[in-house]
Amino acid sequence: MARLILTRAILSLVSLLAVSIIIFWAVELLPGDTATRILGRDATPEAIAVLRQQLQLDMPASARYLHWLMGAVRGDFGISLTADRPVLEYVQGRAVDTVTLAAVALTLYAPLSLILGIWTAVSRGRAVDHIVAVFVILGMCVPDYVVGIFLVATFALALPWFPPLALSDQIHDLPSLVHVLFLPALTLTAPMTAYAVRMMRESLIDVLGSGYVQMARLKGLPPWRVLLWHALPNAIGPALNVTALNIAWLMGGIVVVETLFNFPGLGRLLVDSISLKDVPVIQASSLLLSAVYILCNLAADIASMLLNRKLGLHG
Amino acid sequence: MSLAVATLIDVEDLRVEYRIRRQWHEAVSGVSFSIARGEIFGLAGESGCGKSTIAFALMGVARPGSRITSGRVAFENHDLLTLPERELRAVRGARISFVPQNPITSLTPSMTCGRQVAEVMHFHGRARGSAAIRETLALLKQVGLPDPPVLFHKYPHQLSGGQQQRMVIAMALACRPRLIVLDEPTTGLDVVTQWHILKLLAELRDRLGTALLYVSHDLGALSEICDRIAVMYAGQFVEVAPRAELFERPRHPYTRGLLESIPRIDRPPGERPALRSLPKRAGLAPGCRFAPRCDFAEQVCRTEDQRLTPAGAPHRAACRRWPVYLSSAAAPSADPARRPLSHDRSPQPGHDAPTLIDVCDLEIAYRRRFWPWRPTADDAVVRGLSFRISEGETFALVGESGSGKSTVARAMLGLVPVRAGSVVFEGRDVTLPIAQRPRRLKQLLQIVFQNPDASLNPRHSVGSILRRPLAMFHRLRGEAARQRAVTLLSATQLGADNLARLPKQLSGGERQRVAIARALAAEPHLLICDEILSALDVSVQASIITLMRELQRERGLAYLFISHDLSVVRWLAHKVGVLYRGQLCEIGRVEQVFAPPYHPYTELLLTAAPRAIRGRQAIPQAAPRTLPALPGGCPFVQHCPRRIGGICENVVPPLQAIAPDHTIRCHIPATELRVRQANLAGMT
Amino acid sequence: MTAPIAPEEIGIESAGRFPYFSDLALSARVAAVILAGFVMVAITGPLWAPYGPAAVLVGSPFAPPSMSHPFGTDDLGRDVFSRVIFGSRAALITSVSASGLAVVLGTVAGLMLAYWRGWIDELGMRLIDILMSVPPLILALLLLSAGGSDSLLPILAVAILFAPRVTRVVRAAALAIVTEDYVTAAVTRGESALSIAWRELLPNVAGTVFVEFSIRTGFAVVFIGALGFLGFGAAPPSPEWGLMIGEGRSSINASFWPVIAPALSMAVLVISVNLFTEGLARLIGQSGRPSIRE
Repeated sequence: MARLILTRAILSLVSLLAVSIIIFWAVELLPGDTATRILGRDATPEAIAVLRQQLQLDMPASARYLHWLMGAVRGDFGISLTADRPVLEYVQGRAVDTVTLAAVALTLYAPLSLILGIWTAVSRGRAVDHIVAVFVILGMCVPDYVVGIFLVATFALALPWFPPLALSDQIHDLPSLVHVLFLPALTLTAPMTAYAVRMMRESLIDVLGSGYVQMARLKGLPPWRVLLWHALPNAIGPALNVTALNIAWLMGGIVVVETLFNFPGLGRLLVDSISLKDVPVIQASSLLLSAVYILCNLAADIASMLLNRKLGLHG
Repeated sequence: MSLAVATLIDVEDLRVEYRIRRQWHEAVSGVSFSIARGEIFGLAGESGCGKSTIAFALMGVARPGSRITSGRVAFENHDLLTLPERELRAVRGARISFVPQNPITSLTPSMTCGRQVAEVMHFHGRARGSAAIRETLALLKQVGLPDPPVLFHKYPHQLSGGQQQRMVIAMALACRPRLIVLDEPTTGLDVVTQWHILKLLAELRDRLGTALLYVSHDLGALSEICDRIAVMYAGQFVEVAPRAELFERPRHPYTRGLLESIPRIDRPPGERPALRSLPKRAGLAPGCRFAPRCDFAEQVCRTEDQRLTPAGAPHRAACRRWPVYLSSAAAPSADPARRPLSHDRSPQPGHDAPTLIDVCDLEIAYRRRFWPWRPTADDAVVRGLSFRISEGETFALVGESGSGKSTVARAMLGLVPVRAGSVVFEGRDVTLPIAQRPRRLKQLLQIVFQNPDASLNPRHSVGSILRRPLAMFHRLRGEAARQRAVTLLSATQLGADNLARLPKQLSGGERQRVAIARALAAEPHLLICDEILSALDVSVQASIITLMRELQRERGLAYLFISHDLSVVRWLAHKVGVLYRGQLCEIGRVEQVFAPPYHPYTELLLTAAPRAIRGRQAIPQAAPRTLPALPGGCPFVQHCPRRIGGICENVVPPLQAIAPDHTIRCHIPATELRVRQANLAGMT
Repeated sequence: MTAPIAPEEIGIESAGRFPYFSDLALSARVAAVILAGFVMVAITGPLWAPYGPAAVLVGSPFAPPSMSHPFGTDDLGRDVFSRVIFGSRAALITSVSASGLAVVLGTVAGLMLAYWRGWIDELGMRLIDILMSVPPLILALLLLSAGGSDSLLPILAVAILFAPRVTRVVRAAALAIVTEDYVTAAVTRGESALSIAWRELLPNVAGTVFVEFSIRTGFAVVFIGALGFLGFGAAPPSPEWGLMIGEGRSSINASFWPVIAPALSMAVLVISVNLFTEGLARLIGQSGRPSIRE
């Protein structure tokens, strides 16, 4: 068991490494000179030379990559081109903020999907099922930015229940945290929950029609026992899979939501730094975001392994 | 049957309909019967006749897509069909329990087996907590499972098929029900396990007085333990009778046809298939539903409905002509087409017939993916296999699942790598993997697979399936290819109108014929048949066997016939090899192998095979011991009832040549075997 | 009443018939009609739209909906209705090409991996895992960050992002049938790998492939919209829907129509695509769930 976790952790590290390569080289791959691209065509040769020196563009790419990687491990991401400050300072606080937002969203997501999934599977064809189905379709199809705008328009502007922008300096304690982050978290949760509910429902309906569930019924067991002990443990697998995929999406969704709500997290930072073409910040924030993603995945993997163990499921 | 026998459950005029594409069709049409206390009642019929539907109806369950339209199931003063759900739950599992067909799909994968048994007791209030565990362990022992404390904590997928079925039977017994309904409980289990399960069920009835409703298409299994048997056809009962009566003097033509179709080890099958194939969707025909297939049908049979009427009580039959039928059946059939066919098997090729394929000391093992790369001697799937097939000969390779016989087939084709030994086909070495084989070799060696559903591409029409090998091997295209395809179809007794059909529009038997036609298209010299009959209904099997014989006679084809069913092998093969765990225990001509002296494993298979219905044969049993699997020694030592001690565990048994073509691998000298098995002479 | 019928005989008569439009569920039929409507608008729209997409000050800014401006005007006085129409063309073209490209690449890769299995498969799956461990939007942003706003680049980026996902799905579907006996029969006949992939595998995964294509198209619309919203898609004054939403967001107090109109159109389009896909998938006999999210 411990060995499995270790293997997963090592695999995650390898993924992170691979991702770092991709991040670094994504910028390198484009034709033309990096410095010129950043500064634009009207840049003076001196400005270009200064930039080249700052970014050490005269070193071969692979050496630069290693240098950058070594620095990253130590926490030194270089100097921001626009702010002229070490990138680390920028990034620290924001990373915490992003993780908080992600955590709130996931905390909302898990119980909601489970309950709705079970409920609609059991009440298949009835009113509840149809109503939830409509929300599921909306959640799956309406883009997150549209949902966000709609939520803000309704619950922040028309009905002033929540703040329309999520500014971190308004968060002092838990209640204010929830108050400020509710709308952004809801925006993030909506599509994730939609997929999970749909998956859970289908998989549970499938399992409820299986031979062993029928056998459990034929043994005269009460319906709650059949549902919770025979059906649910075997139906939850695909929902866990979908969760892993949802987490992948979440990282992208965070970028959009942070932009929408002006929340000072890594996502906003990434978008801003891309507009400013601040290469070290771009690299640092993408790497961190990917690291958060990989970490979330690892956590989900371990959780699902533990769950599988507990429920007695096998490979 | 004396009136004093108490009736346990009484079914009256049961009707069930199924919904297919928005239309309701009747699947069970007015069935009535009753089961007495402690009686074992068998329900026989081919697939689709409605017997499983009746089994579920007894549990108060209408299967998805069906509805029970009328009828009454009287049990303990209630009508199960109108009982509210809550009370039905109290009945299910406790008063009437169910044993379904496929144990692995009936056991919850995420719960330990012991828990699944104990929870039945718990929720019916019979025992809780540690008391339930104790009772469960006792129950597991009672159903013959080894090592109950260990098995309690295992998960279903960790058990073998036979153990799973016993586990399900334990679940069914947990609350000492009055009636157990079993839906094809031994289908899919090998012959020896089936025998054991049947014995267990009979014992349970004797000891506990539980009644059983045993639903099966396998009349042989029913003949072993049932007291009374009902035969079902197209949703109706056509005959109900005590066991002996049914088998010796059946009153309905369908019953007799069914009995005659069963390949039996002690009696050769008739030449013409006893039952003409099921028509697709029998039309709106009033009158006897069996009339289209009946040899005795008269005009009145086609116009008037038949009902079950007494035909010499306690026998009941749904045929108005039963007296006529019975008297004609009593006389040995003068119909020349019904002549037993043993001498119509194509003649054994003489000794000078050229050898087509010579397998010598074949060893097959699967490569390990990661370290250690060095394969060890005992992970061989097949070891030391040697046999020879001549032109025009049928060689059967017999064994249970897991014996390695399918692996041999794949190795012959080059799909599985050969670790050691040689295979020489028409003078050429063919231990090459498929990619390296010359085209001609691929052409001469063809295969037909077990599952007709999986062996034809569902998106290709029959015509396109046949044209492919014609194009690849004979470069035939266009009209010439079409003509040849039609010829191939007619060789397998299919009409040319099938060319445009898709596999899902054909029945299982027809699909298998197309698969055979496809193999023939290449014009092979050797045809490998990998369990080609196991997925087919009994009546269809008979006609395929006939087809195989004809093809061999006409084309001089040789067959490598792989099967687990000795009864079929008896009447089809010239030579037989018996495989156990990858090693050949006995090999010889059919008449030699099916007569003593037998290898102890062959002996076991033969005594467990279905045969004439009188009583049950006692099969020799080994006291169960779990011995470690040693690289040396006889592979059969753990289950051999005749093992003689340490030598069997440690020393590889030698090959004994009993006759020029007949060898047995055993430590016990042949003469001694002959003596010990003398009581079995005349068994086949 | 017809004679009793074995449940196994069910499929026999109806098999082989090409599915009819009326076989689709009601929701799918409605969705198909809506989709057809979108396509018509996309193709013919520029002919009859009242104003050009960049025509400024054709009405006062932030005008509410009226006869001449059904969706009102935006901050620059542009007619929202016309812009939405022009935007639909961009939306359809970009999403269809992106997902089409992804599906072609993914199908080829998926079939190859499934057929060869062994170490090729392991390697391929590892590569895919790695590619998929970068959150998609981030990878897209990275690819676009240095590329400028060439309209071809988002399509390419999306195709690269989606292809691994398609590969996974196609591979799973192909793996299910690659061990079937009819494939083994083809192998024993000596058919080449290409021939087997084309003749034996592809027809049986075609349904899955088509459903995937449909699903990916829906996602592509949303994704490309997200890129536009963040400002990384087409450059202004392009009438791209995502961009319109992003631009109009800050002045949502003045008028929400410049935001709602494209948002609603996008939502309706994606919902229709999804409903149609589901109906189609159910008909073909697939599991019908657009479940693999990104």
